[in-house]
Amino acid sequence: MDLQTVNANVSRVPFFRFLNFEVQSLDNLHAAAEMTFESRHIGNPVMEYYHGGIIASLMEAIAAIAVRPDFAEAPAKPINLTVDYLRPAVKGPLYACANVTRKGKRIASVSVISWQTAREKPIAEGLYHFLLV
Amino acid sequence: MSDITQKKREQIAQMWNARGKGLISHMELEIEEVSTEGVKVRMPFNPDFCVDREQTLLHGGILTALLDSVFGLANFVAIEGVSTMATLDLRVDYLRPAHSRADIIVRAHCFRQTRHIAFNSGSIWFDGHEDAEIARGSASFALTHGETSMFEAIRKGKAS
Repeated sequence: MDLQTVNANVSRVPFFRFLNFEVQSLDNLHAAAEMTFESRHIGNPVMEYYHGGIIASLMEAIAAIAVRPDFAEAPAKPINLTVDYLRPAVKGPLYACANVTRKGKRIASVSVISWQTAREKPIAEGLYHFLLV
Repeated sequence: MSDITQKKREQIAQMWNARGKGLISHMELEIEEVSTEGVKVRMPFNPDFCVDREQTLLHGGILTALLDSVFGLANFVAIEGVSTMATLDLRVDYLRPAHSRADIIVRAHCFRQTRHIAFNSGSIWFDGHEDAEIARGSASFALTHGETSMFEAIRKGKAS
């Protein structure tokens, strides 16, 4: 699956347009994306921090793409997630990278990290489970 | 115990109205019930939050965002003198596909508070289908207390 096709598919999903992200790299069981800051992403209007739910949404989106890059055909079904919020995300681009830790016949586990200035200073870390059947 | 003062009600209304920008205003949330025992909030159907071209299936992420928001409201109502709160962690179980154009109803409450931490849980269903929950979540929040609440700061347009 090439990046251009994946991003064309991303642009057809209403909620992905709402998030406004681009898949920047994709290989077997890894995917990374950059999200553009929008005022509709704000959770704390005083500090202009991202809403935690938007961060979790970006991480869920890129996790699903890492599991099934051809999500336009049959997207992986999300089962559940846990997110650890480590730092506030400020106005500016937000990056997320998903790594499929296990992909079985029915279930996949995906670990996702998001950051802004440096990967060593993560904004949030998440674990996502998907049903593949 | 479950009654909240008029002052607090006004503060709550102010807080939600003050969010002229950001995700919470975009979700167009309406508070249906509010007490220290918990809150009930309605989110109208919004095609922007869907994943399919027919726009009938909501993305899980918006349910997660909704829980996070409503937990914040529940804490603000239940905890006296809270100044700031930050989500520490969040767990969400997606119990069914969110396949409908009905309004979404969320119920959430703070089931334990300490000086520094609040613990929350909540459920989501489509209006009229309370027996078929689509998601359930729990979260913990780090709290700070102080004279100036973050909502006062929003009103004054200053950082707390």
